[in-house]
Amino acid sequence: MPVLGANFRRDLEIRRYPVLAYALVPLAALVLQAWLPRVLGPYAWFDLPLVVTVYFALGRRSPIQGTLMGAGMGIFEDALTHHAIGINGIAKTVVGFLAASVGIRIDVENFTIRLLLVFLLSLASSATYVFVYRVLLGLDLEWNWFTELFTAVGNSLIAMVLFPLLDRLQIRD
Amino acid sequence: MESFFIRYRNLLVLLGILLAQVIGLAVQVRQTDAGRNTLDPQDGPGVRLIRLWANALVTPPERLIHISKLGTDSFWQNYLDLRHVREQNQDLQKTIDRLRLEQAALLEDARQGQRLQALLDFQQKYIYKTVAAQAIGSSGSDQSHVFYIDKGADYQLHPDMAVITADGIVGKVRDVFPHSAQVLAINDQTSGAGVILETTRIRGILRGNASGQLQIVGILADNRIQPGEKVLTAGGDLIFPRGLPVGVVEKVVRDPDRDSFVDVIVKPAAHLDRLDEVLAITATEPRFSTEQQQDLATSEALKGAEAAAIKEQKKASEIMAERLPGLVDPNLPPDQQPLHDSSNPNLVAHPPQALHPDRFTPGGAPDTATGTGAGSTPEDTAKPAQANSQDRPDGADSKSVPKAKTKPQQSKPQQFKPQENP
Repeated sequence: MPVLGANFRRDLEIRRYPVLAYALVPLAALVLQAWLPRVLGPYAWFDLPLVVTVYFALGRRSPIQGTLMGAGMGIFEDALTHHAIGINGIAKTVVGFLAASVGIRIDVENFTIRLLLVFLLSLASSATYVFVYRVLLGLDLEWNWFTELFTAVGNSLIAMVLFPLLDRLQIRD
Repeated sequence: MESFFIRYRNLLVLLGILLAQVIGLAVQVRQTDAGRNTLDPQDGPGVRLIRLWANALVTPPERLIHISKLGTDSFWQNYLDLRHVREQNQDLQKTIDRLRLEQAALLEDARQGQRLQALLDFQQKYIYKTVAAQAIGSSGSDQSHVFYIDKGADYQLHPDMAVITADGIVGKVRDVFPHSAQVLAINDQTSGAGVILETTRIRGILRGNASGQLQIVGILADNRIQPGEKVLTAGGDLIFPRGLPVGVVEKVVRDPDRDSFVDVIVKPAAHLDRLDEVLAITATEPRFSTEQQQDLATSEALKGAEAAAIKEQKKASEIMAERLPGLVDPNLPPDQQPLHDSSNPNLVAHPPQALHPDRFTPGGAPDTATGTGAGSTPEDTAKPAQANSQDRPDGADSKSVPKAKTKPQQSKPQQFKPQENP
């Protein structure tokens, strides 16, 4: 029966959002990511663009859309730093693709699974960043994994609050 | 073939985007003469365009947030929270007066220093012109310690201009946009500033580490470097003027790569994590700025006025002393002096007897030849005290004197009452 097929289930659970949400939520995430560290100082252990990328990739369940969104967010983040443009871009591209690919296969409605995914994808993003910086580009970079661990935990906590809020934006039939 | 692209379209899109970014990265990295890879400090036109777009998109909302925050703070500070302002104002006025006098003296020294430097053909650059700016945003990344200020090309900012606060140096302008600028903080791993330790005069290069701390690298192990020593700019990097505060030495750790070298961890003087207002140094000159010269003139005028006032006071007191009758006329005998009191013939102008004679008491000072000076022992000093106690007008015997000679720690504290004059 086609009703029980994987494609039907996937089509059924694809979330849709208003066009403004696709534009404003990522922009708000980027602006807050640039502004909040000034207020919180060294305790700004979060990556809002990553959380937003994961949310939309999980909700849309389209690897292409997840990839494009991750690439856009990452390149935008790179543009605000003084590093080469593309380092965060590659990391977020991989994260967007992985999140969407995982979203097809497992039940992402479960809250715990969502948080676990955010935690693991944050670490994957950091690992990709280091790989690109050190191996691909051959640049010197001192790295503190504890900070990345704290950032992953911070992202999970933010996702715990942000995901239910963003769920309210989706278009329901 | 068509089915291949449809089947693997997700992966193909991913690979295509990754490949494009890798190529873009390869363009931005170059190799140094030493064979090491480094990021190109000058952005290419494409990269600069992307940065410009990102900045144009993020800066207006950040500016809006910042203005809202400033408005709230201003409303609170200027209208609601005005307690103790009058007292603070008075205190500040006193401080200004004191600092003006100190400044006059210091500027005299600075002028002398300038003259000597001119003789040695060495020109010290002074901060001549600054532009005040507000920090409105950051990179949002732990790996990139840059922040944005709300002044840019419209205020004649240029790359490599020093950015400071009243506390110390902050960083340098890295990129300038039409209405904003990107500042590379001194605690970034790619930053560098020439510094000197204030007392030991050891020079080094300051940069940031992975934790965002400041450290001076490439210093030979030296026991003289102690925590608490001040770190100043050395002036050799052509960005920061000489002598600006950088921070204080927090600790000294071994260089993990080189045995004989140490890394000096520095606590920054400026609050790099919570920057609000900063100053971009737009011009340095081998002379003082107009404002500084005006301050100097004001200080000198005040100093001169104060000296004149003191002189006037002295002169007035001398005139008064000449006009008023003197208490003692040297030309008259003692019994005909203006203030001579003949009603009490027994009055003798003797100082009252001390209850506890010591070495400062008139007539009670011990003989220096006997060695009873400042370093004398309690045994030595107890002797004249006992001798004097026999002559005391209240008739107190030697038992009432604390027995410092034998057991000073066991002597009972005595309560002395004021004695009436016999």
